[in-house]
Amino acid sequence: MNLPSILSLRNILVAAAALAALYLCLVAYRSGGGLVALALLVVTCLGFFIYLNPRAESYRYLFPGLLAFALFVIFPIVLVVYISLTQYSSNHLLSLSDVLLRFKAEVTFSGSDSFNFWLYRQADGKFILALKNEKKPADRFVSEPIDLVPGQDGTFSEGPYRLSKVSPSQQISGEVLDAARVARERLYQPLRNVPFQLPGDILVGKTDLEHFVPQKRVWKTNPDGSLTNQIDGSVIRPDFRAGRFLDQNGEQIGPGFRSFAGLDNYVEIITNPRIQAPFFRIFLWTLGFSICSVLGTFAAGISLAVILEWRELKFKKLYRTLLILPYAVPGILSLLILRGLFNQEFGAVNDVLKAVLGFAPAWETDPWAARAMILLVNVWLGYPYMMLICTGMLQSIPSTIYESAAIEGSNPVLNFFYLTLPLVLPPLFPVLVASFAFSFNNFALIYLLTAGAPRMLGGGIAGETDILVTYTYNLAFRDAGANYGLASAIATLLFFIVGTLSWINLRFTLKRYARG
Amino acid sequence: MLPRQRLLLKKVIAHSVLIASCALILIPFAMVVLASFRKGNFPPSTLWLNPDQWTLDHWKYVLGIPYRELLNAATGETKLVNPTVAPMRWFLNSLVVSSIASFGIILLSGTAAYAFARMKFRFRSQILTGLLVLQMFPQILTLTAYYRILNYIGEHIPWLGLNTYAGLILIYLSGISINIWMIKGYFDTISPSMEDSARIDGASRFQAFIRILLPMSAPIFAVVFILSFISMISEYPTASVVLQESANRTLAVGAYSLLDEHEKLWGHFSALAVLSGVPITIMFLLCQRFIIGGLTSGGAKE
Repeated sequence: MNLPSILSLRNILVAAAALAALYLCLVAYRSGGGLVALALLVVTCLGFFIYLNPRAESYRYLFPGLLAFALFVIFPIVLVVYISLTQYSSNHLLSLSDVLLRFKAEVTFSGSDSFNFWLYRQADGKFILALKNEKKPADRFVSEPIDLVPGQDGTFSEGPYRLSKVSPSQQISGEVLDAARVARERLYQPLRNVPFQLPGDILVGKTDLEHFVPQKRVWKTNPDGSLTNQIDGSVIRPDFRAGRFLDQNGEQIGPGFRSFAGLDNYVEIITNPRIQAPFFRIFLWTLGFSICSVLGTFAAGISLAVILEWRELKFKKLYRTLLILPYAVPGILSLLILRGLFNQEFGAVNDVLKAVLGFAPAWETDPWAARAMILLVNVWLGYPYMMLICTGMLQSIPSTIYESAAIEGSNPVLNFFYLTLPLVLPPLFPVLVASFAFSFNNFALIYLLTAGAPRMLGGGIAGETDILVTYTYNLAFRDAGANYGLASAIATLLFFIVGTLSWINLRFTLKRYARG
Repeated sequence: MLPRQRLLLKKVIAHSVLIASCALILIPFAMVVLASFRKGNFPPSTLWLNPDQWTLDHWKYVLGIPYRELLNAATGETKLVNPTVAPMRWFLNSLVVSSIASFGIILLSGTAAYAFARMKFRFRSQILTGLLVLQMFPQILTLTAYYRILNYIGEHIPWLGLNTYAGLILIYLSGISINIWMIKGYFDTISPSMEDSARIDGASRFQAFIRILLPMSAPIFAVVFILSFISMISEYPTASVVLQESANRTLAVGAYSLLDEHEKLWGHFSALAVLSGVPITIMFLLCQRFIIGGLTSGGAKE
């Protein structure tokens, strides 16, 4: 290989891209995301391997799509499944280290000394803190230059910053800020919570706008991970399974933390009566809703498709165009429009029903009426798709079989049940299963139509029209006692149900494909 | 009954079923059109407006034209209404996001479908199955993961983070599974002989793909574009999490927000629904022929 071919344009571009990618990894690593940097590095290497190695040619076409898929489909799934194995809820929001920091930050004031303070702004923007004992002015202490960001709360994880003793007469460099100016320039917040340490390991911290006082930590960390209360001598230990600190009497002390819980969340679904009861009711309704949706859309779709296939009928094109409108209009708009029509008091549906039949169902407050409304709306939205698919299937049926049926003296109804349906159902089966799986997870429909209302009596946050996904959503986000771990466990279960179903469906379809 | 009478009866039954069905479809849409011109914010519920009920206020609101709203009919007191964000903006936002993302989907799923349809490699059928099965994970819980990912990206690349269209588009680009299946199904129906002869004549695989297969597959790309475009226009959960400023909402989030507050603004909503629903519907109907072909040959829109 001679020199010019090494320096070809392609190689230079590849090298430049490699450098840019490595730089990105470095940036990610520097910003503290070690795992992110590693992932980025792996993806980069994979990308270069695929695009440079002739043997990986087919993966060149897959790489961009699969990358997007991995980032926004696979990674979130892994995250949710992992969370389903942890204790993670509004009672277990912090990590263990954050909870330990909170314990560490608990202080009591000790001693009778009290210090006035000043900040000295240095030329490089850092600050030096100076303290002077109120009663003994000879006691003066200064800190090293420290960073303070105006308006941002300091945390106990910084410091403690050491203060060293200086003689009363020593000059401190920089622009001096007294307590009032410190407050005005919003430098009070960053000083709050940050511990400083006098010589002799005495902690000092702010008490009010103008003073620092000596402090003592409440909790002492023991080598075995337990904490000792230095005021009353009690000991608390972390319970890693339950995600909280317990004292000798088994009482929880302090906030809970996120912890690995194994299959506890899954066991909870089955055993905790407060979750189990609504869970099974919701599961049944989810099943019922999905089955009825599929049957309803299919029945409406195939009936209309059969009628529209009749050769002697006029205006077929016009009818078909009008009938696929619900598929053409953005679903969210139709959904909200129908919600308005089913309004219990002012809606058009009840106006008509009252005028014609003399009764007005309580679409919003009666559970069964609400369920019926959801099914009606879903059939309205979903039948055009079935109609289109059925039309395609019907066109592939040879017309000769109907001709011979007519000679035998058949009628349209018999034709439909004994000829059309048996011919159309098998090839349509995968579409029906896919549509079932889709209904099973149709979050937007329920959320935007009823949001689960009316509430289920004694079901906690569960609603009578909630399906499993909307219930999961409520569990994870809506309640004050939001339980993200439990919600993730239910989502994972849901995925197993729907995923297995789709997988079997695919196997079935692919086999049929392969046969011909 | 004579055969001719029987035929007539059948025709009457068929037409009445079809007319009744069309009425069930059309009446709600007609009511929305009227609700958008009706004074006050009433849910769509009527097929007739008295002459004194007509108003253009809702349309002005949606288009961002200031108008005076009558507060008290007795005193004639009025209030100037000048929306800070015209709802039309949401529709335009959606058009931008959905077109770019649909175009991106075509690029990603088209190339991937080519590999699945024309090449042999390890784990081919497993990846193909995995794509479809994994997409079945309840998306609603993965929203927090989206939020975290975009939040992280945004710290380093601000134009790709939360509250940006680019971030939302990035998430939408991951919805490729169904489209890969549809396009692959179409590619499978085209014989590879033309590409093979092009390659014998010296074309690279990529050239054969771009110059020969792509032009022949235009119809399926049209279908994928329109179907993903419409599903993105209607997408609510992700958009509501990613875009949180009133000005950058998408149509779905914006339209819902008009009905979500204490006062349900049915009039404004109706005007917005007509304004944005009509062009999209017309586009869909114009491409109807392609879509029916694509659905019945390739696969499914979910």
